[in-house]
Amino acid sequence: MPVKLMQGNDAIGWGAIAAGCRFYAGYPITPSTEVAEILSRELPKLGGKFIQMEDEIASMAAIIGARVGGVKSMTATSGPGFSLMQENIGYAAMTEIPCVIVNVQRLGPSTGQPTAASQGDVLQARWGTHGDHPIIALSPISVRNAFDLTVKAFDLSEKYRTPVILLADEIVGHMREPVELPDFKTIKIFEHKVTESPATYKAFRNTPDGVPPLAPFGVGYRYHITGLFHDEVGFPTQRLDEIDPWLERVNTKFDTHLDDILLTSADEQPGAKVAFLSYGASARTARHAMKLARAGGTKVDLLTLFTIWPFPEAQVEALGDRVDRIIVPEMNLGQLAYEVERIVGRRKVKRVVRANGEMVTPQMVLDAMEG
Amino acid sequence: MDDQHIYEAHDLQHDEGQLPPENWFDRSETLQKLRKNKKFPTIWCSGCGIGIVMGALIRAIDHLGLDNDKVALVAGIGCTARMPVYMDFNTLHTTHGRALAFATGLKIARPDMKVIAIMGDGDALAIGGNHFIHAARRNLGITALVVNNAIYGMTGGQYSPTTPLGGRATTAPYGNVEPPFPICDLAVAAGATYVARSTVYHALELDKFLAEAIAKDGFSVVEAVSYCHTTFGRLNKLGTAADMMRSLKDNSIAKTALDRLTPEEQAASTKIVRGKFVDIERPQYTHVYSNLITRVQEMNNDQEDG
Amino acid sequence: MSNVVTDPGQPQSAPLPAKKGPRGEVFIYATWCKGCHICVEFCPPKVLAMDADENYPRIVAPEKCTACHFCDTHCPDLAIVVRKLD
Repeated sequence: MPVKLMQGNDAIGWGAIAAGCRFYAGYPITPSTEVAEILSRELPKLGGKFIQMEDEIASMAAIIGARVGGVKSMTATSGPGFSLMQENIGYAAMTEIPCVIVNVQRLGPSTGQPTAASQGDVLQARWGTHGDHPIIALSPISVRNAFDLTVKAFDLSEKYRTPVILLADEIVGHMREPVELPDFKTIKIFEHKVTESPATYKAFRNTPDGVPPLAPFGVGYRYHITGLFHDEVGFPTQRLDEIDPWLERVNTKFDTHLDDILLTSADEQPGAKVAFLSYGASARTARHAMKLARAGGTKVDLLTLFTIWPFPEAQVEALGDRVDRIIVPEMNLGQLAYEVERIVGRRKVKRVVRANGEMVTPQMVLDAMEG
Repeated sequence: MDDQHIYEAHDLQHDEGQLPPENWFDRSETLQKLRKNKKFPTIWCSGCGIGIVMGALIRAIDHLGLDNDKVALVAGIGCTARMPVYMDFNTLHTTHGRALAFATGLKIARPDMKVIAIMGDGDALAIGGNHFIHAARRNLGITALVVNNAIYGMTGGQYSPTTPLGGRATTAPYGNVEPPFPICDLAVAAGATYVARSTVYHALELDKFLAEAIAKDGFSVVEAVSYCHTTFGRLNKLGTAADMMRSLKDNSIAKTALDRLTPEEQAASTKIVRGKFVDIERPQYTHVYSNLITRVQEMNNDQEDG
Repeated sequence: MSNVVTDPGQPQSAPLPAKKGPRGEVFIYATWCKGCHICVEFCPPKVLAMDADENYPRIVAPEKCTACHFCDTHCPDLAIVVRKLD
C-alpha cells in the first residue's frame, strides 16, 4: 500500500474495515466524527451498512443487534456519548456479544471542551457500567498504532466474546502522520465456528477455555439472549448453582489468555532506577522525556501500555521490582497512576498530571525525577 | 355460514377477525411454536392479557407460514417483554426502552429475517419513545407489537404514559395528572406504514392485525390493549381479570362504527377505538440502503475503470 | 433445572351425545391452567364451570359446545383447546 498522510480517526476507520467490520451505527460527536464520516463513505462500497442513529444509546444497541445477526460492528464516540452508552456496554458484557466501541477522549467532565484532549475516561472504561464485569480497553499512541489496535480490538472482541473499548484521545484522533497500511488481505481475525447441532448447542456453555462458540441468529440455532442472569442455554435464572459458575467463567475468561490480551512495549536500560510509564498521547511525552533524560546521562526505563484494561499487573509489578520510582504522565488527575500505585505501592509512584486539555510536557516529566 | 356463530361469540364482524386453520386446535400445532425446553406455565399472573397476545402472535406467525429460523423477537423490559423466551424463534431480551434500537441493527444486518419488537406501553413510549419515533420515520422493516395495559406492571404498578387521567397508581396515589399518549396517532404521525389497534377481548382481530403487520414490508405497529388486574385493577377497584376483560368489550368501538357517528358524538366518545388507522406503502429502509449500496458500487467501479 | 418438557400430561375431556349444528370437543390442560375463570365466564353456552376444589375448570355441559373458540383464543395460558367435531 502507498504511504499516505492520514488522520488517526481515519486510520481507526480503515482498521475496522480491514478487520471485517461491515456495520457501523453512531452519533456525531467531536472529536470522533471523522470515524463515522469515513465509514459512511467506505462501508457501502464493500456492501457494508452505515446508519446514524438518533443517539448514542441507540447506536450501542444497534451494533449489538447487528452482531447478534452475525455482522461485525463498531461505534465511535467521545465522553458524553460514552457515558450514554454504558448501560448497553454492560449488556454486551453480560451477553458476551463481540463489538468495538471507540472513545476518542476529550476534556471533561460534562460538555467540557470538545476540541481539547484528555485521558479522563480511563476508570470509566473499566467501571462505567454497573456490576462486576470484565472489559478490554486498548489505547493507541500514533496513527499507525490506531489502525493496528483497531484490528486487534476486533480480534480480541471475537476471540473472548467481549465488548472492546478503543480508548483513543483527541490528539491521536486528530493528528496526521504518514502511514503505510498493510495489505488488508493479510489481516486475520478470529472467526467463531459452531460445530454442535442446534439440539445440543448452548450459547453460554461453561467451557473449560471460558469462551463458548457464538452462533448468529437466523441460521438454525434458535436461542434466547437476555441481560438477566442466565443459565447455559440462555434462559433467565435465579439459581446460585447457575449464577456462580457464570460469574467464575466470565470474570476469569481473560486470565488464561493474558499473553494475547496484554500489549505493552518495554524499553529498558540495565541499571535504570527510574521509569516512565505511559499510554495514549501521553506516551509520546514519556518517550520524548526518556530521550532527553538518557541524552543527559540518566538511565531511564520506558514502559508503554497499549492495553489499559485488563491492567498489565505482572509487567508493572516487575518494573516496580527493578526501579525505585515510576513516573506516570497522563492527561487526567491520575486515573492510571491509581492502578500503578495499587500494584507497586504509593511511595514508588510519581504522578505528573494535567486535566485542563493541555499535554503533559517532557520537562514536567524530567522535573518529576527530582525530589 | 358455518363460521357465523364464531364471529358472533367473539363480538366481531366477519371482516374483523381471522380464524386459525382447524388443525391449529390440535394442540401439537400450538406447541410447535413454543420452546420445548422452557418451563411452563408462564410467569404472568393468572388472567393476564399478555398470554392472550402471545397466543395471537403465534397464530399470526403460523398463518403466514414463516420459518421459525427466520423470525426474531426483540423485547425490552417489563411483563410484556418476558414473552419472547417462551417461543421457538430467535429471541433477544434487551435493555429497557431499547428494543427497537437493537432490532434496527439486527434488521439491517439481516434483512432476510422477520423482526418483531415486543414492548409494553412504558417500554415503547416512555423510555423508548425516541426510538419508536425514529424507527417509524425510517420505515424499517420491523413490526412493533405494543401491549398497552396503561401501567408499569413489572415494578408494581406505577403510572405510564398511557395511564388515564385520574387513574391511581403507586406513584400517583392522588390520581394521575398527566394526559395519556395516543399510541396509534403517534405512530401514524411518525411515519409508520401500518398502524392498527385491537384489544385482548378481540383476540381474533389481533390475529388478523398481527398477520397483516408482520407481512407488511415497512414499519408496522399493532397496539394490543390489555389490562393489569393485579396492579392498576386493584388500585382502581376494577375487579378480576374477567371483569377487566368485560370492560374492554364494553368500552371499545370499531373504527368503522365510530366513523358513522356525528362529529359531536365522535368527539364525545371515550371508547377505545379498534381498527386499522393506516395501511400505506413507503420505501422500506433496508431496500433503500440496498439501492444505495448498488449505486455506490457502480460509481466505484466506474471510477476504477475510467 | 430448566428441562421440564412442555407436554402437560393427559387432557381432560368427556363423551358427547348427538346434536344438530356445529359441535366441539374441549380439552383442558390443568397443569398449565392458573384458574383465571375467563373461559368459564365468557363461554356463550356455559359449557364450563370451575372445579369445586381445584383451581381449573371442569366441562359440565360438553354437548353444548359449538366450537366457537372463544375459550381457547382467550386463555392466557394456552391451557384449553377445542377441536371441531364433524
